[in-house]
Amino acid sequence: MFDFPVAGIEIPWLLLVFTGFTVGVVGGFVGVGGGYMVTPALCVFGFPGYMASGIDLTHIAGKGVIATIRHRQLGNIDWTLAMSMIAGTMFGVELGTRVLGFFKEQGLSTVAVLTASFVLMTGLFIYTQYETRQAQRQTVKMEREGRDIGREVVASNLPSVFQAVPLMPIIRCHTARVVVSMWVIVLVGMSTGLLAGFLGVGGGFIRVPALVYLVGTSTHVAVGTDLVEIVFSGSYGAMRHAMHGNVDFLAVMFMLCGAVFGAQFGSIATAYVRGPAIRFILSYSLALAGLGAFLPLFDKLTSSTIWLIGAVAVTLTLGQMIFLCAYILSLFGFALLARRGRWVPAWAMPLLVKPGSHLATAQAPSRLVKGRVV
Amino acid sequence: MNQKRAGQALIRMAFWAVVAVLVFSFAINSYLSGEMTHWYYYKASTSGYAINDNSFLAATKDKPILLQVVAADQIVGQQAVKVSKGDLLPTGANGVIAEAEVQDGKRVALEGSNLKVMVPTQIKEQSGIKYSDTYRHKGIETNPLSGPWNVGVVLLMGLSLGMLAQAFTDLFGLEFKPTGQTRAH
Repeated sequence: MFDFPVAGIEIPWLLLVFTGFTVGVVGGFVGVGGGYMVTPALCVFGFPGYMASGIDLTHIAGKGVIATIRHRQLGNIDWTLAMSMIAGTMFGVELGTRVLGFFKEQGLSTVAVLTASFVLMTGLFIYTQYETRQAQRQTVKMEREGRDIGREVVASNLPSVFQAVPLMPIIRCHTARVVVSMWVIVLVGMSTGLLAGFLGVGGGFIRVPALVYLVGTSTHVAVGTDLVEIVFSGSYGAMRHAMHGNVDFLAVMFMLCGAVFGAQFGSIATAYVRGPAIRFILSYSLALAGLGAFLPLFDKLTSSTIWLIGAVAVTLTLGQMIFLCAYILSLFGFALLARRGRWVPAWAMPLLVKPGSHLATAQAPSRLVKGRVV
Repeated sequence: MNQKRAGQALIRMAFWAVVAVLVFSFAINSYLSGEMTHWYYYKASTSGYAINDNSFLAATKDKPILLQVVAADQIVGQQAVKVSKGDLLPTGANGVIAEAEVQDGKRVALEGSNLKVMVPTQIKEQSGIKYSDTYRHKGIETNPLSGPWNVGVVLLMGLSLGMLAQAFTDLFGLEFKPTGQTRAH
């Protein structure tokens, strides 16, 4: 047990290290901060609600730096894209906070936030599942034809619509291999920032699919670029929280110690899997977070005090962290086994990068076309 | 050439390990010396009574706990110190019970020179999870420098740990790129 004098609780410090590790794995792999998992988990550990948000956001900023360094080494960051997005994101976050303030005045903030979370996450989950399954089928078909697949297959043709917007200035994102109007990037940043500000989250789980499906980057570049955004937005949020006395600095340090290992595993694992694998994990993460938002919403709308709902919400929060972490580590393990020619489950094979195949970064065309390898 | 790269990686690893250890030691030291707590419970953001909530957590409506109101720089045991908005908090304080709350008398009331605490905790909800809310952290203001300072230290910690991990993998020549990777330049 360790006494956290600022938070005023006593809990085993290893619990925080473990939380940092699991969220680090998910964050490094999918490119999300993991606030929707960590905040409720810290509440379960006994941290006051406002402090849970503050600790979470501060640890996200530190973890973001760790994961960003590794993704930079892996060549997954497009700095032009990241810097173009930041201004839009910040503006969007401010706008989202004001929209939330409006609902607060009406006394509807909780219901509005939970409803928006549930609808958005369910919608994203359905689309991501649909598109990723199509991409997986495409992969199997191309493998049968003996074509070199690389590490990314996207079955969506939405990016070509957005890349065709002729508004000047048009910018070339070299790492992402995308040529697109700067206004599209700013608009994407603003929209995702608005949602993030309104829902009170970092916004990684909205930004990653937006970068893949709207801007047209590969999933790996979306993850790396999003982590840069997380460092900036997380640092700003962390500073605001610290000034309001919402941060137990020591708890953050313990979580960072776990995150350093988790973020390494998560980031490195992206080099062994194809884009659809990352989007699969992201979609499951969205489904679980959506369910996590639905339970309190149901509780609120029905004014019920069913203890089971609370118990399920807690189990879900802790369960999803462990489930997602185990899923990612097992994929990583399968990738290593496949490289040694050992047995790997059939479902996992299309998700893994085959030794000898070329990377998207070397071959990607400037635009994504339905069913094409990028 | 490989030996030269390994040597460089070793130097980088040692450098970032030292930075990480220094940052972590700084955090632990500021915790042990009480400086971390002092920066956090810095000033009163409202007029009222500075308290340490651990001293009356067992209070109930049937068995209230009396806190002796004293004028001191330190709170010892079941004591409270009257403070005005903007005053530095006495050592050992971890919250301020606002004067309005005392006048309201539902949870805390003033009885002579004692503060009678009847309801020390309330059940609140955050992100669908219910938790017990106390007087801790209420009515306090942290040191305004703590925001940028905390974030700076956390980012430095993240940077040192990230660079340390990268140097570690470089040292052992571990390549985390899929076989056959070629970069576009």
